Amino acid sequence: MNDESRMAVVTGAGSGLGRAIAMRLARRAHAHVLAWESPATLTGAAAAPFSVKQSSAGAGDRPCAFRRAPAAANLGLRGRGTACILRHADRPDPSKGVPTMKPVSIRSFACASFAAWAALLSAGAVAQDVIRIGAPLPITGALSPEAKKLQNGMNLWMETANKAGGIKVGAKRMKIEIVPVDYQSNTPRAVQATEKLVTQDKVDFMFSPMGSGATKAASSVSEKYQIPTIAATASSEQVYDQGYKYLFGVYTPNQTLTEPLADLVKKQAAGVQRVAILARNDLFPLAIAQEMEKSAKKRGMNVMYFEKYAIGTLDHASALSQIKSLAPHWIFATGYMNDLILIKKQMADLGIEAPVVTMIAGPAYKEFVSALGKGAENVTSAAWWHPAVRYKGKDVFGTTENFNKLFRDKYGLDPDYGEASAAASGVVLQLAIEAAGTTDKKAVREQLAKMNTMTFFGPIKFGPNGQVDSLDPPVFQVQKGTQVVILPAAIKQGNLQLGVK
Amino acid sequence: MLTLQILANGLVLGGLYACIASGFSLVWGVLNVINILHGSFIVLGGYLAFYAYGLLGIHPFLSILIAAPLFFALGYAMQHTLINRMIAAPVLLTLTLTFGLDLMLSNAMLATFTADFRKLTLDPPLGTLAFGTIVLPVDRLIAMVLALGLTGLLYLVLSRSRIGRAIVAVRMDREAAALMGVNVKRVYAITFGLGTLMAGASGPLLAMIFPISPLTGPAYLGKAFVICVLGGLGSVPGAMIGGLALGVVESFGSLWFGPEHATTLSFVLLILILLVRPEGLLGRKGYA
Repeated sequence: MNDESRMAVVTGAGSGLGRAIAMRLARRAHAHVLAWESPATLTGAAAAPFSVKQSSAGAGDRPCAFRRAPAAANLGLRGRGTACILRHADRPDPSKGVPTMKPVSIRSFACASFAAWAALLSAGAVAQDVIRIGAPLPITGALSPEAKKLQNGMNLWMETANKAGGIKVGAKRMKIEIVPVDYQSNTPRAVQATEKLVTQDKVDFMFSPMGSGATKAASSVSEKYQIPTIAATASSEQVYDQGYKYLFGVYTPNQTLTEPLADLVKKQAAGVQRVAILARNDLFPLAIAQEMEKSAKKRGMNVMYFEKYAIGTLDHASALSQIKSLAPHWIFATGYMNDLILIKKQMADLGIEAPVVTMIAGPAYKEFVSALGKGAENVTSAAWWHPAVRYKGKDVFGTTENFNKLFRDKYGLDPDYGEASAAASGVVLQLAIEAAGTTDKKAVREQLAKMNTMTFFGPIKFGPNGQVDSLDPPVFQVQKGTQVVILPAAIKQGNLQLGVK
Repeated sequence: MLTLQILANGLVLGGLYACIASGFSLVWGVLNVINILHGSFIVLGGYLAFYAYGLLGIHPFLSILIAAPLFFALGYAMQHTLINRMIAAPVLLTLTLTFGLDLMLSNAMLATFTADFRKLTLDPPLGTLAFGTIVLPVDRLIAMVLALGLTGLLYLVLSRSRIGRAIVAVRMDREAAALMGVNVKRVYAITFGLGTLMAGASGPLLAMIFPISPLTGPAYLGKAFVICVLGGLGSVPGAMIGGLALGVVESFGSLWFGPEHATTLSFVLLILILLVRPEGLLGRKGYA
């Protein structure tokens, strides 16, 4: 009962343990207790089959549908809590051995208990000044490093916003509470976790699970219950083409990563003609590889090799030997951290060199560079955000520099795009709630749909399908052990270097 | 030429697979315990090598010498104190026990090392060896030789030493071995210790090649299962042949059907072997 918006029903509250528990709960501020009492323990109670005592010190004006019983003061309640004691008449008085009151009909019992509940629920709604956001996260299992990043980002937003007083809803400020549930890196469980968060935990808003696949699966649940949901890490268009109205994503479509990259290579490395693509057979890695194929073909390049590898592949030597025999100019590999570290290591093992090597998504993370050392040199990549971007936002973080600073202060590391997008999801939701001036889900959804604002993450405006279409994702390259932004021109820190060993 | 390169890739990979599987196969064959912990032991050995190299500058090849006695002691103690209590129980119960222990170990590793993928990168790197147009990475080559050496050593221990004969005897007939004066409980503990040693010693070898993370344990375990069934349970030469076969078949599967289906061919082979020779390539009632 540390949550003031919850209720408790205590049976057998007339004496002993039950009574002690009921009183302890009721003494807490804002705790609402529905206690069930047998008649024997109430002295001088009214003759009605049921009577409800309400005793509250401080907030005695809470609505209660029932007549006050005279013995209420006996409970000696302190604090601002409310206790309703529902008295049950058809149990024999153990001290006398005979029933003292007439048995009660089921109907009157049901009416009484329903009315008591209704009174308590309405009291609970008034007391609530917390906005609860559900977050299904892959805290354990293969995606647990990603979950850590998402949590870092969303927790930083929650703490920063709460420190500033919370989210401004009309005239008052409401604190934020993120409710995480572990879905064990298992997409079907992500759907269950979402269902649980909505139906049992009664969250007000949702953050999506990790990645395009799980986001798509879970979005059907939040759509069904009309819960505005922000997706931090879903970019594939297949997530947003379902006609859903309550799903909003802060990543631009995949081709916004490959198009500028292909432009840059075409412009600065005219000799690049032969392209080899190796993709993890997984929703996002495969989708971005297909975009790469389109971007390359559009520019007259020759895609000589396009193959998929299975999730969990331990050895890429065969595929890479084949790629080597084709002598491509541009090797484009997609996957996650484990895959890409292994692929890059095996490329070096087989003596594969190429003017351009691009990997998505891995080089944006520090782990990639520290794991490969010199092997990571000159690998290019693109992401939706980079700590080098500079925006002046209207959100709780304000500038990108301030977000970077707060992140470093808290975690001792520079933020990467996954962490930033998780914080940005919170920021977007906060801005929408504040613009709506209410936590009403439909009103917040309307504000999200027409949002056109600036954040530390970049300009945010959602397209008609709910996917952001206003960001200009940076292209970067690992140079001397750090990620250097080479596009867009406004924030670039260096130029494209050719030659990857 | 590509075919030769793929064959070489496959053999080198197969050597590593043999090393992954031999300890697992030994424990399964002798104790009839499916040791789910095996993958996590390999990862733990990898972390040992990673930190020994990063903090103390100890070369991973030398880490094997440190890992071997440590993991033997760990395995011996674990069998002696925990698994021996369940050893007479049906195989599903010991599997559940090691599954539970594995959950504890891998979550302890997650808490200690985090799930970040790390890589043991030698400085300077060992480079590559070129035979004509065939290129082989030196670290993989050495790892394969050491892996096969370790597996061979295990084979020698089993076939030549007194304790090895005792292990084989227990594997063949536990009651008869006990009647002949073999201390079965001790043999079990030593066998489990040897299996753990093989896992711990292959950790440093694999750490030079694969990224290290507590999450990679199940991948190693999966390979060990396939190789054991392919090569024959409890047989060290079987694990070696099974490992090499799997490495080569996967490599050609990837070449012929695309990397997406690298494992398709190996599982088709596995099904065929189960149909034709359910005891595995080198499996038989006897052992070693």
